[in-house]
Amino acid sequence: MLATTTIVADLVRQLAGDRVRVESLMAAGVDPHSYKATPRDADRLAAADLVVASGLGLEGKLAELLTRLGRRGHVVTVTEQLPEEDLLSVGGGRFDPHVWFDCGLWKRCVPTVAEALVKLDPAGAEEIRARAAAFVAALDEVDAQVRGRLAAIPDGRRVLVTAHDAFQYFGRAYGIEVVGVQGTNTESEAGLGDINRLVDLLVEREIPVVFLETSVSDRNVRALLEGAAARGHEVQLGGRLYSDALGGPGSGAETLAGALLANVDTIVAGLGGSLVAGRP
Amino acid sequence: MPPDAPLLEFHDVSVAYGGRPEIWNVDLTIDRACLFGIIGPNGAGKSTLLKAALGLVPLVGGSVRFHGEPIDRVRRDVGYVPQRETVDWDFPVTVMDVVLMGTYARLGWFRRPGSREQTLARESLARVGLADLATRQIGRLSGGQQQRVFLARALAQDAGIYLLDEPMAGVDAASQEQIFAVLTELRAADKLVVVVHHDLRTAAAWFDRVALIDRRLVAAGPTAAVLTPDNLRRTYAGEIDLLQEVGQAIAARGRTE
Amino acid sequence: MTGTWLPYNTLVVAAGVAAVGLAAGVVGSFTLLRKRPLVGDAAAHATLAGVAGAFLVSGRRDLPMLLAGALAAAVAGLAALVLIRRFTKTRDDAATALVVGVGFGAGIVLVSGITARGIPDGAGLETFLLGHTAALTAADATLLAAVSIAAVAVVLLILKEATLVAFDAEFAAATGWPVTLIDLVLVTLVAVMVVVGLPAAGAVLVTALVVIPPLAARQWTERVTTMLVLAGGFGLTAAVAGVAVTSRVPGLATGPVVVLAAAAIFAVSLVFAPRRGLLARRQEARRGRAAEEHRP
Repeated sequence: MLATTTIVADLVRQLAGDRVRVESLMAAGVDPHSYKATPRDADRLAAADLVVASGLGLEGKLAELLTRLGRRGHVVTVTEQLPEEDLLSVGGGRFDPHVWFDCGLWKRCVPTVAEALVKLDPAGAEEIRARAAAFVAALDEVDAQVRGRLAAIPDGRRVLVTAHDAFQYFGRAYGIEVVGVQGTNTESEAGLGDINRLVDLLVEREIPVVFLETSVSDRNVRALLEGAAARGHEVQLGGRLYSDALGGPGSGAETLAGALLANVDTIVAGLGGSLVAGRP
Repeated sequence: MPPDAPLLEFHDVSVAYGGRPEIWNVDLTIDRACLFGIIGPNGAGKSTLLKAALGLVPLVGGSVRFHGEPIDRVRRDVGYVPQRETVDWDFPVTVMDVVLMGTYARLGWFRRPGSREQTLARESLARVGLADLATRQIGRLSGGQQQRVFLARALAQDAGIYLLDEPMAGVDAASQEQIFAVLTELRAADKLVVVVHHDLRTAAAWFDRVALIDRRLVAAGPTAAVLTPDNLRRTYAGEIDLLQEVGQAIAARGRTE
Repeated sequence: MTGTWLPYNTLVVAAGVAAVGLAAGVVGSFTLLRKRPLVGDAAAHATLAGVAGAFLVSGRRDLPMLLAGALAAAVAGLAALVLIRRFTKTRDDAATALVVGVGFGAGIVLVSGITARGIPDGAGLETFLLGHTAALTAADATLLAAVSIAAVAVVLLILKEATLVAFDAEFAAATGWPVTLIDLVLVTLVAVMVVVGLPAAGAVLVTALVVIPPLAARQWTERVTTMLVLAGGFGLTAAVAGVAVTSRVPGLATGPVVVLAAAAIFAVSLVFAPRRGLLARRQEARRGRAAEEHRP
């Protein structure tokens, strides 16, 4: 089976266990918004028993390929059964695709994948369903942990500034205000007006930390730091978050749960804890 | 410089463009200052001969020597007037700018033309009768004026040998006379003036010596001796009327000398 | 010094892009006079191969390294252009298309090879070509300013040589000037400007700045030095205008707006320039006809 992103691959592995071999098309640290398929990729996708995609426009450059494969009943889109009213709109009839950091939303993608797996492997139906239930429970557990840890951030500091808008669902679910330098799609270039606006935000709200991402370039964030510094407000770099991709082997963030908790720890350390100790 | 070296010598010169021969086995020696014409029909390779002398086209055989030296050693002493079509006259430079270009080689890298160069350029312009057009953009000149600008540029090179490529082509009669007057002055100042020329009648009247070229050298020497009906027939096969006029021109010149 | 009226980032970006606009205008004037305005295009497309190559060789996504690779590729592409023109009968536009195709094609092959192999940090190398104008840092702007000044200085140094070669290369050669060398120097300046302008405005946009301001400047003058000054000035003005507009308006990328500003300047020049402008020409034609009609 071939998943498009590492995050989707994780989901599928959690449900399929050892019964199916799952591979991820994109490696850790790859930006799915801009990823273009090579002919070899196209072959791999066509040869897979099933292709699992994230959907909602995340794999922007693979859309045509996925549609073609989809016509043959070959593709499952993880988010396809999420009702529109639960999604965040970004205008033009499109939605923000970064649903995985909201545990509540992500667990509602589980049935979609479970059903597809069962269809492919009817003999393992019982095991798959059991694993699905276990994963949902695990997600609930993670959800609780996230809320617990995030409580350490004082009220006035609950603002998360990152390289691109990948955390809106996270912010909505867990009560954090989220601002990205680039929009929900890394393909659009940040304008000077956007940077100026963000520098204003950083300075006026005295936001102490901004965060980098593993799959997005640092340039925009560094420009923000310089702009804020010029107005006498020092902003620190809070560390690197996993946004559109999970971590590599050995990073502790090879699963969604691992990545999510790692993010939370990074965020808490930046906004709530040690880095800003001593400020009133 | 070897003491008895001729001013300009073509030795067994051959030029080919992409495998097609343009001129071949040309042996031509000019050993005294004079007004020398290179005559021949269209496409005979006359311009090519000049460019070969200047090293602008590669030789597939033979050599060219100025005072016994190869061109690279004596460029300072060779003035060049190319055909007018070689440049875009819409270029944003004035008459004065172009004439000053003749002084660039002596200036060398990076240095700007100074008062010495300006004076030389102004004098050159005066000699060709364009002194009051110094600030005009070159595109707004007539053909004859443009030709004279090129001549002034060559004069500013202050050379001992001048090579001119079709300087009278498409030029009004008055300008032609003016150009010819300047060339005569140069010859009087003991300079060698080699002119690729297209018009047989005026050639007969103007040049001391000529070379008849039709991809090969047909004949070279004093004008009257070279422009015989026989030679002309061999070179300009089929242009009979022309030959008669030329014969008359030669005869006229013979009477005045 | 800077506050909300003139935000720091705006100042930094303005300085960087203005430097590029100025130098591109000056350097581009000579490519225009030499009748090779697409040279910048060839350089820009070749840089992709250079960036990918440098990444593969060094294994790191280090900006100076990538720019060095870009420069090497750009110079190689342009040298190929000069040499093709010198030694074959290929026309300039065909030669340019050849270099653009080969350079960019090689670049795409390398880049997709890199992404296919999943080499870490290798994703999105081609976005390098798009530039991140808004995210220029002070260090970036300083580098841009330094290179721009150097490029303009070189042009001024060989002003007479470059003008001579652009106007009459045959006479230049006949009087002993190394025409190919001078061409290579000018072409290298373009390559350097393109490469250095990559982070500021992106490859495609830098080539626009190399072509449009000189074209506009040409409309207004018949002197080379004036043309250089105007071209540099137009490039700088377009840069400042583009930055000023996008500084206030959210969601607009700066690079393209700068190019639009340059295009606007060109449009005005095309129509309104005295003597060479469209209006002026129409008036002159009308006067000419009137004179004809009034002849006895």
